[in-house]
Amino acid sequence: MGMDKSRGESDFRLSLRAVEFHILLSLAAGERHGYGIILDIQARGETAVPDVGTMYRALARMAENGLIAAAARRPAADAGDERRNYYRITDAGVRAARAEVRRLEALMRAARIGGLLGKAAK
Amino acid sequence: MNGTFLLNLSERWFRLLLRLYPADFRDEMGESVVETYRDRARDAVNRGGVIRLAGLWLLALVDFLRNGPGERAHPAVSWRRTGNWGRDLELATRRLMRAPTLAAAVVGTLTVGLGTFAVVYTVVDKILIEPMPYRSPDDLYFVWRDYGPIFDLKRGWLGGPDVAELQKAGGVIEGGVGLRRELATFSERDSTDPMQIAVMVTSPNLFELLGVQPALGRGFAMSEVGPKRAPVVVLAHELWNRLGANPEIVGSDVRLNGQPYTVIGVLPRSFAFMRHSSLGAPQRADAYTTFDVNLAEVNPRGGSYAGLIRVHRGTSPQAVAAAVDAVGRVIDARAFDRKGLKLYPIGLKPDLVARVRPALLVLGFASAFLVLVLMVNLASVLLARAAQREHEFAVSRALGANNVALVRATLFEGGLLGCIGGSLGALAAVWATRALLALAPLDLPRRDAVAVDWGIGAVVAGIGTALGLLAAVAPATWAARTSLSSLLAMSAVRGGGGHGRMRRGMVIAQVALSLVLLSAGGLVVRSFERLLVADPGFKPDGLLTVRVPIIPQFFPNAPDVLAVQQRIEDAFTAIPGVTGVSAATALPLTASASQNTFTIPGAPGITGDAARDNPLVDTIGIRASYPEVMGMRILAGRGFERTRRDGVPEVLIDSVLAKQFFPTGNPLGATIPRGQNTPFTIVGVVDQARLYDVHQDGRPQLYFRAEDNAARSLAFVLRTGRDPHALVPDVRAAVRRIDPRLALADLRTMDEIVGDALRQQRISAVLIAGFALGALLLAAMGLFSVVSSAVTRRHHEFGVRLALGADHGRVLRLVLREGALLVTIGLLIGVPGVYLAGGFIKGVLVGVSPLDPATLLTVALGLALVAMTACYLPARRVLRIEPAQSLRE
Repeated sequence: MGMDKSRGESDFRLSLRAVEFHILLSLAAGERHGYGIILDIQARGETAVPDVGTMYRALARMAENGLIAAAARRPAADAGDERRNYYRITDAGVRAARAEVRRLEALMRAARIGGLLGKAAK
Repeated sequence: MNGTFLLNLSERWFRLLLRLYPADFRDEMGESVVETYRDRARDAVNRGGVIRLAGLWLLALVDFLRNGPGERAHPAVSWRRTGNWGRDLELATRRLMRAPTLAAAVVGTLTVGLGTFAVVYTVVDKILIEPMPYRSPDDLYFVWRDYGPIFDLKRGWLGGPDVAELQKAGGVIEGGVGLRRELATFSERDSTDPMQIAVMVTSPNLFELLGVQPALGRGFAMSEVGPKRAPVVVLAHELWNRLGANPEIVGSDVRLNGQPYTVIGVLPRSFAFMRHSSLGAPQRADAYTTFDVNLAEVNPRGGSYAGLIRVHRGTSPQAVAAAVDAVGRVIDARAFDRKGLKLYPIGLKPDLVARVRPALLVLGFASAFLVLVLMVNLASVLLARAAQREHEFAVSRALGANNVALVRATLFEGGLLGCIGGSLGALAAVWATRALLALAPLDLPRRDAVAVDWGIGAVVAGIGTALGLLAAVAPATWAARTSLSSLLAMSAVRGGGGHGRMRRGMVIAQVALSLVLLSAGGLVVRSFERLLVADPGFKPDGLLTVRVPIIPQFFPNAPDVLAVQQRIEDAFTAIPGVTGVSAATALPLTASASQNTFTIPGAPGITGDAARDNPLVDTIGIRASYPEVMGMRILAGRGFERTRRDGVPEVLIDSVLAKQFFPTGNPLGATIPRGQNTPFTIVGVVDQARLYDVHQDGRPQLYFRAEDNAARSLAFVLRTGRDPHALVPDVRAAVRRIDPRLALADLRTMDEIVGDALRQQRISAVLIAGFALGALLLAAMGLFSVVSSAVTRRHHEFGVRLALGADHGRVLRLVLREGALLVTIGLLIGVPGVYLAGGFIKGVLVGVSPLDPATLLTVALGLALVAMTACYLPARRVLRIEPAQSLRE
């Protein structure tokens, strides 16, 4: 994986893993706690929702790399008002997500030109 | 509720699974993971009930099984595993690997220094500090008698009734035993070769008193004592081993002095009891048996027992002294007409270690000093290193590294070096301690206990670490101060930075400390030199000695004893290469003579003062021509002739007695009354063959003819021009031919006896000299590096000076003057230390004043010479400076 070796150069990374992109997507819309992120992913109709463990390992890694940061711990309305750890996206995270979106867009364009998606977009 | 119960149960399950994650991940994320699973579990219960929840449990299991070990194998952030320290460790290791010579030099120095320290620490700890292997050993005391009012013996044996009285004293005294060590001829069976062993004859409660159980069989029963006691013996582990370590030996009969004794027990290997002596070193025994007399009934004036008592737990030494004193007064009134003879106790351990205490304390002091020098040296090396890295520090700080990180990294490097050095030192000490024990006197107290253990290893490694950290404080504070601007300013000036002063200070400290250590070392070595050349009053080279006891069980009558001894002497004389044979009851330097008081009525030196006129004298029985064979000096008269006239007991006196009683007249022919016996007639005056110390006369000596007393245990001395060891087979064969039941003991050369007498001083001298040389080396290294870096630093400046017309010699002198200044300051600072150290080591010096000017001056000059050489070697580099080239750089 080599995550540790890329410390300090997170802006230049080429691609995010799916779970990381999902996390950034959720947090871009506002602060979330862990289960909230999973519910978001489910809501996006993703067929393979990541394990809780996979997601928290990703959270730890991303927090370390400065893509996200821990926000205040506070009661969560959707968890019977129990207190939860919230996360928020950082500027670096926003940049990384945008770069990923651009990369995906480029891929999409390429796929269309290659005929993989049909000519639906006219 | 049912739902809550299920949720709580689920939470337990998730928490159990959480253990699959590494600890640091659990600490940071564990709670969140569990909370999230709780949320999912709540949803599952709400939507599908128990079935759905069971599915989630299974899902969680798969998740944890995959991600827990996954996180362990590929942690989200690698260095988090060990925290910041882990990263520092990694960095420090990498830095040290890049400078392997430096790392090796530092670790090597630390290993040697701390290894030496560890050895001394081990010896001091095991001998002086660690409790002895008996039940509450601090409650055990030896009791001695001060014979002061009768004669000059402060520490004399007790009489049997003293011991009996102590045993029944009660009060704080819980119990007591008497101890008497005898040599006996031992054989396993009648048919086996006899050997000479030491037997401790004691009271039956000795083992209970010490709180020691035999490893095999049993100890003595309380009834097994007195005139009608059954002959039983308990073997020490070592003798049992020598006999083949056969457990079946318990219950069988062995022969002690020809009599059958039943072996009832074998002592454990760890049992290393020593009976302390009135004079001389503590002694151990090969076997234990009980008194065949009733102690209360023996002659109260015949002092020959060591008394050992146990007091109630926690009794103060004052209370013990009072109780023992009370017993002493009873005996004094009953047997000594209230002359004021006193009994007094000494704790078992203080008594045991008293002899080695001063030497050990000096060693402890020396090693503490060495550690100090080491620390200063380490600090200056680290400082030099910090100087090399000042650029790195400044840049790191300019890039935003904070002070804490820099200081921590520097401290860490020192600590790491110290820890490695300390651990290696402890390891080296394991072997060094064994080597030291091989050198040490056989009667070194608690010799068996002296070995490096884990505790000591940990302490030494800890000291190494602390040392490294302390040494790193100076460079660390300096690292914290360094900033880019000051660095730029400094490189513009190209002169000495603040650290230069610090390093010079360290060199001064090292020189001062080295001077103290070297002076101590010089004095101790000088004192040992005096001992080596001291004239003990006889010529030890070319002498073989062997003791042949003639036991009454085989030779009951005095004439038989004399006849056998004559045959032995004749047989020894017939051995090729032997030029002279004689024998004595006590050999020089063995502290083994018996004592008696004598006076010479009517002699010119009589003062009328009874104590002075009745001196306590070592009395030694000798055979004909003993002074001649030993190479003693006969000052007047003659030695004993081969033919002996019955009825005229002749004696030789030493020059001490001769001076006391005959300061003017001639002692030859004077007589010494002996109560009912025929008085001694003085036929000669000799110089002492010293019985205790090599370098000084002991108690006055009186030599009588061994035949007059039919002394049974004689040590024969054989003088030869050959190597004395070469005589051993012939000596054995000769004795076996005369009577195979005779056992030989203490077969050794006189040189070995002298060597044993000097062993303790030899070790002290070797160790202290080692410490001192180590310190000298360290100081020289420190100077070398300071001067060397000064030359590098001032290269440019020297170039300018040379270009402006200074010649090379002038520049060289400039550098040397700086070194000489440091050395001089260091020497001056060291002087008070030398004075203090002198007071400390006074106790171990022989024939040398602690402020001996010749020694101290030599040491100071030697140190200065070495120090200046250490300056000169790197300073020479200025001779190669080419002004033109240096300016161009």
